[in-house]
Amino acid sequence: MSAGIDVVLEYLKAKRPDLESIPDDLDLIENRVLDSLGFVNFLYVLEEQTGREISMDEVTPEDFRTVQAIRRRFFDDAVNAGH
Amino acid sequence: MTIQLESGDRLKQILDRLVEMSKKDYYNPYQIFDWPESLPEHQYWMSPELMSVHGTEAAKDLTEEQLWAISRWESINFYSLNVDGIRELITEIINRIHTKEFEVSSEYFHHMVGEENEHMWFFATFCLKYGGKFYPDKGIKLSSDFTGPAAHFMVFARLLMFEEIVDFFNKKMGTDERLHPTIRQVNFIHHQDESRHVAFGRQICSLLHSQLRDTANAEELAEIERYLKLYLRKSIDSLVNPAVYRDAGIPEPYQFRNKVLADPAFKELEKRILKRSMSYLISEGILSDDELPAA
Ligand SMILES: [Fe+2]
Ligand SMILES: [Fe+2]
Repeated sequence: MSAGIDVVLEYLKAKRPDLESIPDDLDLIENRVLDSLGFVNFLYVLEEQTGREISMDEVTPEDFRTVQAIRRRFFDDAVNAGH
Repeated sequence: MTIQLESGDRLKQILDRLVEMSKKDYYNPYQIFDWPESLPEHQYWMSPELMSVHGTEAAKDLTEEQLWAISRWESINFYSLNVDGIRELITEIINRIHTKEFEVSSEYFHHMVGEENEHMWFFATFCLKYGGKFYPDKGIKLSSDFTGPAAHFMVFARLLMFEEIVDFFNKKMGTDERLHPTIRQVNFIHHQDESRHVAFGRQICSLLHSQLRDTANAEELAEIERYLKLYLRKSIDSLVNPAVYRDAGIPEPYQFRNKVLADPAFKELEKRILKRSMSYLISEGILSDDELPAA
């Protein structure tokens, strides 16, 4: 699924062209790459790339804190990503 | 910040009038509606011109059967958005009722909260009875909120924008003869109550913003404008739900959504939905222009 996370990363970069790069451990929330009002559009990119609908009961803001966290939670481990 | 009564004299009069109207228009929502067992599937559940796909390239190859299906699920999405929006707004109003700052409007808040509770009930009933589900809210709280007077203003501004967007649909669907009587009734009744809420919303937003202009600096006012525009963007985007397209049997629902959002026909619809609100926000100096950020 490495293609999937790359698409997600591209989406984030396009949202913030002023950032030269988005390191794996950059705090996306602190740095306002992700914010509450833009979140749903981001989530749809994530749903499309993971191929499944994400239920909000099963996630916390920490799951979206960094690119690394997103990769771990939604891409690396299919078992983990399931719930 | 107290809602100052010097500037609020007019507000007080309006509130008294709205409370009187609420009492006069009072109805029992649990008895007023006809809820048939089911609604016919082979017709539109939304006015076709108000559907997200109306006039778009993406819709060109769809059959009428597919359009009916989209209209059905899109209407369930619309009522689900209402349920989510009302839940949030009732909470905010309850947080303010009978606090010192909102003394003058508390009597009116009782009516509004009561009415919104009833709206939530009939929208939820529609979703469950005819859709068998809600579309869940996909929002999450990531950023910190405004505080003090700016927070008060943002609550009432979001509430007003939400109500005006919804009312754009209710007003048309409430009298659209092509729609089933139950669909018309739900929309018509909501439109009636919301006319009062919008009248109040405009008064309170103008008042709170003019007070903010006296106390907040340019940077804070710009941040409020930025946030409000993002809120409008989000509200418009939420009318276009990939789960709706998926449920209507459209392949590649996420790509389909992106195509709809980027289509000039949808931008046209967006303009129509926001027209009234935009001219209000600009004439009150709340927004400096009508340019929204990209989706
Ligand atoms: Fe309502
Ligand atoms: Fe309302």
